Amino acid sequence: MSTAALDQIVKAARLDPDHVFSAPWEARAFAIALKLSDAGVFSWDEFRARLIAEVGASDRVHERDGTSDHGEYYEHFLRALERLLAEKGIVSS
Amino acid sequence: MSENHHDTSESGPAARVKALETLLAEKGLLDPAAVDSVVDTYETKVGPRNGARVVAKAWTDPEYRARLLKDATAAVQELGYAGPEGGHLVAIENSERIHNLVVCTLCSCYPWPVLGLPPVWYKSFAYRSRAVSDPRGVLRDFGTELPNDVEIRVWDSSAEIRYLVIPERPAGTEGMSADELAEIVTRDSMVGVTKIAAPARRGSKKKSATE
Repeated sequence: MSTAALDQIVKAARLDPDHVFSAPWEARAFAIALKLSDAGVFSWDEFRARLIAEVGASDRVHERDGTSDHGEYYEHFLRALERLLAEKGIVSS
Repeated sequence: MSENHHDTSESGPAARVKALETLLAEKGLLDPAAVDSVVDTYETKVGPRNGARVVAKAWTDPEYRARLLKDATAAVQELGYAGPEGGHLVAIENSERIHNLVVCTLCSCYPWPVLGLPPVWYKSFAYRSRAVSDPRGVLRDFGTELPNDVEIRVWDSSAEIRYLVIPERPAGTEGMSADELAEIVTRDSMVGVTKIAAPARRGSKKKSATE
């Protein structure tokens, strides 16, 4: 794991310290998941399990290749949401 | 930071989110106005200011500090902070000899009601992997140099337990009120990646570069 990678992330955080979303779609994906969980379409625990699986798969690739990420957390988040909704038969996979 | 190379493509995440939202609305499972409201809440209302008020109260009210260390979930609820991802909160206190650092190695567990949503770096592979293997190096990347005799404790937040660091109250803040103190408590210090700098002398107030 390179220090330079974390440096860049830290620098980005400092430029915009309250930065939690990098693009509007990230905020909407988050809000959709939260509302569906509120409505009982799935539980947040069910969702978290899929999210951990997506993040873990990506981590293993980074570990194997010695690479770092570029803030793609919400891509994992979106894929976890799509997969869970497909499992529930709500969207086609 | 709003740049996203995939945004315009049809299979890109922005298009997929839009398609999902439309489909869910058609099925009656989602109200788009409710999505707007959640976005607004988490972008503007829930954030680290709540946690800062918790810390400032703990600094100025010894009985509150004791309650916070004993049962943080209940203690933050006293101040009206509760909500999703707010259960099972544990407060851990920094001292001259112990520095606490919080990470979620598996994904992004974080106490939303007191800190808001986690920042981009907290969710990064670099932070999640290095906070455990090289905490001193991570702290140095954040500009935090700790003497060698300070013990660093790393806490892995999870679905079961989420941690909130109570940073050390800096010297020179003796005369400040809880409200004034809450202004100097930063999000990063409550995750444990930084310490709180002593405020500049009155009359020469300077904002820190990270604020």
